Amino acid sequence: MRVSRGAVRAALAIVALAALPFAIGDFWAYQLGLFYLYAIAALGVGVCWGRTGFLPLGQGLFFGLAAYGSGLALIAFDGSPWLLVLVPLAAIVPGLLAFALGLLVFRRRGESGPYFSMITLALSLLAYQLANNWESVTGGFNGLKGIPGLPGLDSYTAAYDVAATALAGSALMVAWLYRAPLGVLWSALALNERRVVLFGFDTNRLKAVAFGVSGLLAGIGGALYAPQQGLVTPQLCGFALSADLVIWAAVGGRARLLGPALGAIAIGVLASELRDRFPYWEIALAIVFILVVLFFPEGLAGMFTPIARRFRRPVPSPAPIAAPARPEVAQPSRLEIDGVDVKVGEVTILDRLTLALDRSAIHCVIGPNGAGKTSTFNVLTGELPVQAGAVRFDGYALERLPAHRIARLGIGRKFQIPSVFPQLAIADHLAIALWSARARPLELLKPSLRRWSTPLLDALRERYPFLRHDARPAAALSHGERQILELAMALLGEPRLLLLDEPCAGLSPQETAAVIDVIRWASARRRATIVVIEHDMALVRHLAEHVFVLHNGRLLAEGSVAAIQADPAVQAIYVGAEK
Amino acid sequence: MGSVFVAQALNALFGIAALAIVALGLAVTLGLLGVLNLAHGEVVMIGAYCAYVVQAQGLPYVAAIPLAIAVCAVLGWTVERWLVRPLYQRPFDTLIVTWGLSLLLRKCAEAMFGLGYKSLNEPVSGTLEVLGATYPRYRLLLVLVAVVVLTALVFWYRTSRTGTRIQAMVGNPELASAMGIPVSRYASATFVAGTCLAGLAGVLIAPLVPVQPFMGLDHILMSFFVLVVGGLGSVAGLVTGSTVIGGANSVVSALSDSTGGYFCVLALAILFLWLKPRGLHAR
Repeated sequence: MRVSRGAVRAALAIVALAALPFAIGDFWAYQLGLFYLYAIAALGVGVCWGRTGFLPLGQGLFFGLAAYGSGLALIAFDGSPWLLVLVPLAAIVPGLLAFALGLLVFRRRGESGPYFSMITLALSLLAYQLANNWESVTGGFNGLKGIPGLPGLDSYTAAYDVAATALAGSALMVAWLYRAPLGVLWSALALNERRVVLFGFDTNRLKAVAFGVSGLLAGIGGALYAPQQGLVTPQLCGFALSADLVIWAAVGGRARLLGPALGAIAIGVLASELRDRFPYWEIALAIVFILVVLFFPEGLAGMFTPIARRFRRPVPSPAPIAAPARPEVAQPSRLEIDGVDVKVGEVTILDRLTLALDRSAIHCVIGPNGAGKTSTFNVLTGELPVQAGAVRFDGYALERLPAHRIARLGIGRKFQIPSVFPQLAIADHLAIALWSARARPLELLKPSLRRWSTPLLDALRERYPFLRHDARPAAALSHGERQILELAMALLGEPRLLLLDEPCAGLSPQETAAVIDVIRWASARRRATIVVIEHDMALVRHLAEHVFVLHNGRLLAEGSVAAIQADPAVQAIYVGAEK
Repeated sequence: MGSVFVAQALNALFGIAALAIVALGLAVTLGLLGVLNLAHGEVVMIGAYCAYVVQAQGLPYVAAIPLAIAVCAVLGWTVERWLVRPLYQRPFDTLIVTWGLSLLLRKCAEAMFGLGYKSLNEPVSGTLEVLGATYPRYRLLLVLVAVVVLTALVFWYRTSRTGTRIQAMVGNPELASAMGIPVSRYASATFVAGTCLAGLAGVLIAPLVPVQPFMGLDHILMSFFVLVVGGLGSVAGLVTGSTVIGGANSVVSALSDSTGGYFCVLALAILFLWLKPRGLHAR
């Protein structure tokens, strides 16, 4: 029988964890048990801050809520089998609350910075006040006292084992999520949220899920804290624990799976040794935190990376799985832009722009700088609100849909400046593009989706061998390679309408020829409608079957390349003759 | 009946003025530099402890103002130079670093003064009769000072050469730099101005609140929500924000309790995030 090395390592770790209390004695087993519970909550800070890129400053709220919930349940139902339901429920409810709060706060796009952090901070202070004032339930300032232990698990060693099992289980859960598409999307949206939206993912919901998971992890810690400590006080909900969790995650290494847990345990042990002997311990810790943020964002876990890398052997990539096929484009899409006005402040960007296209062909959009070409794309992808007019795509009113829904209708886009995820590997980029139109929400939990492949992907890898360097990060690619990578991502979603914004900008003549080749090839193969913004007339002549000329936010002319070049109005704006 | 109404109106006016003067420093650093200084509340706390030291030494209360400004200027300069300046391109990290700074300052205050509450005497005691209502003189003085400081600041910003240069820096730092404006020096000075204003606010409110190491938390949250509701970059925004947040807080707190007031402020902040993410007075 073959056993994977990961399983062997996990088994060894579990044996070591279980044997530890015999080596260190009851006192330390008790202390470590507590730090493990904090470590579980710290894992959640890692999910939010290290992976998904938003900082929760009030995780104590969820820890405290769960601790009060399970404490009250244990007091009311001591020894009853109902506890098998109620204690887990005490952990799950904070997770659901965090998810709901995430949906509320992230509802407006882009609100993951300071706003989110401040609201979570305020919420935890509010919870602290509530816990203090609502004496009939929470016991007020002195807290809930005399909480019985979990039935049958009352000794120090048993409490340690419960905490260690919960920590191991939580770490496995987070490891699973990081391996699943969901974890890849979390990393991706932390690097470039707009790009993830334009692949058709509801990033607000993804962030809310991350926050919900962190709430659940804090909840698991809190629900086990009550029986372990026998006492729950308002301080748990408040600022101090929330702050500690962030410090632990940072010092331990927020971006790594186990970093936050490592930080919680290491600092916990140090604190219990030093707090009484060294009066300025907390001041020193705050300084260490600032230094870590400034100079060592990798934290303690980062110090082990070079060692770990030395022992790592290359893993053969697993066999690919065929991704579900996208429906063939039976009938060309119909796109109508009808009298669209766009104003930003006082400036008119689009001025009753009207144009329609319904052929599966390569269309080019030309026009001088400021004509509204890229803005037109932004309107089509739902990123620029429209003041008047309508945009219809195969019967859908695009001006009323959010950007991720529009992308799901089959509108793909490539930006003028290649928009990739610098720290993510090439394989992750390609996988995200494949998931964009194909993965159902629950499938995002299945790690096997990372092995998806399609005939188009094989063909692209055939043409561009660098796409086979699965583990190479996008940051290591040249400008030309990034252009190709983003183009490949846009193509892999197999959109019905593909918007390309100067796909050849900054490329050498050879690279340009290659890109043109791919665009034509994709157009013939998929029968998709392609719209290209281009400045280079030589390229337009080469590529376009139909040309739109934009000027001052309006459609000036349209037709074949020859017809456009003969048009006196077009000549006038390009040569600068009288208007 | 009339005197009760006047007293309530004065209370509301005082609440708004106190909130506006506390939020002013944050408005300067966030509105002009785009730096959310999470240690803002702790700078207010330092100002308040300066007032405590001055009063404990038996010195005249006014001496707290130069002391607080000096301490906060040194602190502001140091923080800008060593923590904020390396991170102007990484606003999210600024948030985290200043949050760490807030922990540090709080722990330092705890080490120096202990966790206990300090209460200060009002430097101007007694009451004054206003339209039939008697009202504490010190609170009226605070309203007056807030109005004077705000007006003077706006006047200076709009008319002075330095004010114009700062406006240029805010509008387009690269162009301003190309025009020969020493942008990094002005940014540093602006940050220092923000911390000094926070310290001054601390001195002003110290006699009216319990002075303790954790007092900054409430101030940073309230100040931030004021700016969220009012919008960044204008005094009108600061005043409307203070009116909405201070008004809602005091009305709901009076009707239920402080937890209710707090909850109401938080709900307002989330509501504004949805409906008016750039505040009532967007720049």
